[in-house]
Amino acid sequence: MFGAFRLTQPLSGGLLWKIPWRLSRHQKARHRERLQRVDNIISTLDNALAKKGLSTKQLERWKNEMPTEQEMLPKDKYTVFDRKVKRYRKAIHKLPKWTRVSQRLNPPGF
Amino acid sequence: MPSYFRITLLRSAIGLPSKSTGVLKALGLRKRMTTVYFPVSQDVAGQIMRVKELVDVAEVEKPLSKEEMREQRRPEKGFYVERRARTRLEQGIF
Repeated sequence: MFGAFRLTQPLSGGLLWKIPWRLSRHQKARHRERLQRVDNIISTLDNALAKKGLSTKQLERWKNEMPTEQEMLPKDKYTVFDRKVKRYRKAIHKLPKWTRVSQRLNPPGF
Repeated sequence: MPSYFRITLLRSAIGLPSKSTGVLKALGLRKRMTTVYFPVSQDVAGQIMRVKELVDVAEVEKPLSKEEMREQRRPEKGFYVERRARTRLEQGIF
C-alpha cells in the first residue's frame, strides 16, 4: 500500500507523464522574458541595418505581421489554438519545444 | 564606421529542425555560450532571424579576440578593505 514500490499509475501503466494543464506564474514570467528577448533581437537587427540604409524582407514581414510582447493578448501569449481540444485552446507549454519556438499568431476567430 | 553583430549562443538547437542546426554551424556556434562576431549585413541578419530564439545579439563597434573576451571576464586583482578590525572592536561588533 505504502512505500517505494506501491502501485501508482506511472508504475503500473508504463508511460504516464503528468504535465499540469495550466502554467504557473513563474513559467508565465519566464515566457514573457523570452518573448521580450526576441523582440529586442528584432529591434537590434532593425537598428543596425537601418543605419546602413538596409533591411531584409523577412525582417520587414516580422515587423508588419508579428505583435510584440506588449501588444499580445494574454490569451495569445499563454495559449495556442488546437482543433482537438475542447474550446480550441490549449496552454502554450503543451506545444513541443515551446521555449525555443516563436508562436504568436493564432487563427482569427479562435 | 563599420559595426559588427556580437552573437552568443544561449540555447542549444537539440531537437530543432536541421535548418537551425545548420545555421548555427555556419555561424560557427558549436557550443553554448560561444561568441562570434560578424560585420552587419543582410546575410547575417537573415541567419540571425532563423535562430533568434537561441541567441543573444548586440551591435558592437569592433570584434574582440578570444583573449580579449577572456580578459574582460577576469576579476580585478588584489583586495580592498571593507572595515578595519579596530573599528569593529570599538563599535562592539564581534
